[in-house]
Amino acid sequence: MTTATSAARLESFSYDDDIVRKFMWATLLWGFVGMLVGVIIAFQMAVPALNLGVPFLSFGRLRPLHTNAVIFAFAGNAIFTGIYFSTQRLLKARMFSDALSKFHFWGWQAIIVAAALTLPLGFTQAKEYAELEWPIDIAIAVVWVAFAINFFGTVARRRERHLYVAIWFYIASIVTVAVLHIFNNLSLPVGALKSYSIYAGVQDAFMQWWYGHNAVAFFLTTPFLGLMYYFMPKAAEKPVFSYRLSILHFWSLVFMYIWAGPHHLHYTALPEWASTLGMIFSVMLWMPSWGGMVNGLLTLRGAWHKVATDPILKFFVVAVTAYGMATFEGPMLSIKTVNSLAHYTDWIIAHVHTGALGWNGFLTFGMIYWLAPRLFQTKLHSTRLAEVHFWMATFGIIIYATAIYSAGLTQGLMIRAFDQTGRLQYPDFIETVLKLLPMYWARALGGTLYVAGILVMWYNVVMTWRKRPAAYEVPTYQAAPLAPKHVDPAPALPNGVWARFQAAHWHRIWEGKAVTFTVMTTVAVLVASAFEIVPTFLIRTNVPTIASVKPYTPLELAGRDLYIREGCFNCHSQMIRPLRYETERYGEYSKPGESVYEHPFLWGSRRTGPDLAREGGKRPDLWHVRHFENPREITPRSVMPRYQWLLQNSTDYGTIQQKVDAMAMLGVPYGAIEGGRALTQAEQMAREQAAAIARNIEKEGGPAGLQDKEVVAMVAYLQRLGTDIRKPAPGTTASTQGVTRAAPAGGQ
Amino acid sequence: MKLSDVVANAGLAIYAQIALVLFLAVFVAVAWRVFRPSRKADLESAGGMALHDAPQSDSPTSRLGAIA
Repeated sequence: MTTATSAARLESFSYDDDIVRKFMWATLLWGFVGMLVGVIIAFQMAVPALNLGVPFLSFGRLRPLHTNAVIFAFAGNAIFTGIYFSTQRLLKARMFSDALSKFHFWGWQAIIVAAALTLPLGFTQAKEYAELEWPIDIAIAVVWVAFAINFFGTVARRRERHLYVAIWFYIASIVTVAVLHIFNNLSLPVGALKSYSIYAGVQDAFMQWWYGHNAVAFFLTTPFLGLMYYFMPKAAEKPVFSYRLSILHFWSLVFMYIWAGPHHLHYTALPEWASTLGMIFSVMLWMPSWGGMVNGLLTLRGAWHKVATDPILKFFVVAVTAYGMATFEGPMLSIKTVNSLAHYTDWIIAHVHTGALGWNGFLTFGMIYWLAPRLFQTKLHSTRLAEVHFWMATFGIIIYATAIYSAGLTQGLMIRAFDQTGRLQYPDFIETVLKLLPMYWARALGGTLYVAGILVMWYNVVMTWRKRPAAYEVPTYQAAPLAPKHVDPAPALPNGVWARFQAAHWHRIWEGKAVTFTVMTTVAVLVASAFEIVPTFLIRTNVPTIASVKPYTPLELAGRDLYIREGCFNCHSQMIRPLRYETERYGEYSKPGESVYEHPFLWGSRRTGPDLAREGGKRPDLWHVRHFENPREITPRSVMPRYQWLLQNSTDYGTIQQKVDAMAMLGVPYGAIEGGRALTQAEQMAREQAAAIARNIEKEGGPAGLQDKEVVAMVAYLQRLGTDIRKPAPGTTASTQGVTRAAPAGGQ
Repeated sequence: MKLSDVVANAGLAIYAQIALVLFLAVFVAVAWRVFRPSRKADLESAGGMALHDAPQSDSPTSRLGAIA
């Protein structure tokens, strides 16, 4: 592919496979750890006693550890393994800098360790897949930039003019992940490991799910598609079925994926137009996704007979099939009526795991089995064990998925069921949870089988590694450098604009121009993001304010931070949708204006417990104290962990002023209430309110002396939730509040 | 007058629809260009790059596919 003028001069070079080996080991390690945590929390769902009454082992703190470990530690290291191996070979160049490669590797592992320490300790931003606090976010940005420099430096030094489609997917992933990470994690620090999102309420939700969905797109999809387009042909020993389809696949995904985020917020307090836009683009995504799936599967044309005997191809076939299933289901779930059933239930968990276990997991396993003998320069220890791993993992997924899809549908249908008298058939939320327990056991079993399969792979890879040569051979390759000025071999262009457009090999030229290509990909991503996000941030009518909604008191703010620390949002939503079965169960549906001081928003995405948006004032203070101490004393068979340490730990009054000041800096109008007292006497205000609540708890027959305990701050917060909308706006009577109440969408 | 006042009165809601049409047009344009018969040979040869990414080597073991 190089020009004739440079072909005579050959350059010698070798590949850095040591870094590939490092990332592969890290993939194996974190894959096991991340999924083991998943199995632990799966058992905790079935047996709450397994939370062990230890704060850092409770479900709310371990769940983000599981998701972060699987996404960024397991899948992340898998991506880097494949990228470092394939990029060097596709570009015929060693990585730009071995030092940057090492910095990338050790920096990424340090970030993972930091996550593994801080998340169980309760340091979290409360944004899904972006839970890590600000110092770690900065570290991620630095390491990612180092990776980008290393990658693009390699592209610049390449000896292959054409950028193969896998490289395009890598470029899109690197650029977009950087943009997503930076914008979603903009926050104001209020301590070494504590910060508040600069966005609030609807805007924070919109930003988060723009990030969250595209984290799936550009961390779990596009880089893995790059790996598929490289390793699948390698394993099948066949070229990709249709390179033209892969081009269409790439541009369609890049152009469409970035719009789809709002489908995570259907029926919430999000503007209707944004919700619909997200749905339309999500449905459109079905086409390119299936184009890619078909392209992957048909790469095996003429090689299907190998699938029977080759476990690597088996892994790849199931991976691509899982990609197809997940990308059919995703658009389907984005359709509002389907979403109303599935959202907040285990259906979404099942959908995610079809992708993570099937697509990401199996593609990674296939890649590792293909790479291990090549990297260790020996034969794979046991093809039979790889087969055993394949079947264990496959049955693990089947058991998991069958159980959790059933759980999702069951709870979704029970929550919306009305009896013949027009009342909720299952008014107690716990009824819908208890029905799921057998399925939770099955899920834990399926997950255990899947993790056991990883142990089999561990054994196989370690035994392969033990057969490595005393010293790895480092072959030297030769290839011609690129000519300084590329002359495209296309024939002379005809006259006329239309004729030139038709004849020009513009995309072919483009494919060889890495800078232009990268800029265009970035533009595609940024333009889509701007079109969708900017109006939400700048058009005031999208978030109508409610005069009676006031900032949290200092004690309530402290309680809210405890709610965040314990990860309560992992199981409880704070978003009542305008659907009859929601308003019947929880009360008035949530309004955008109620969240304007929510830094960050806490709408949640899954209801293992009931929604809490209107929790304030529903129950006595003592009920909450007893419920935290032991949920099963209040609600028999509840699956909620005990939080007895909230009754023992002292409230950190010393940081409350700092938190109020930070909120004020973010625009929360503390200066406008009670003469701005909270800006100077936040701690005093918090102590006064805590004393009043503690007296009330004692009056209700509870223990005395709780005023300095964390549980009081938590009670203060919970008793405030959703109550502002019931208060009269300043200067009005209750009957003339400034809230327009629309009828909920009935009957769904 | 604030930026938000300007944006609020700019009629931006229509932008989403314009963007939808714009992106659909790009999709059709890419599809049309890529699937033209005249481009077939050119692009399909690029499709084999993953299989032909091993440059000349001084080592007999550089053809790692033989090892597995």
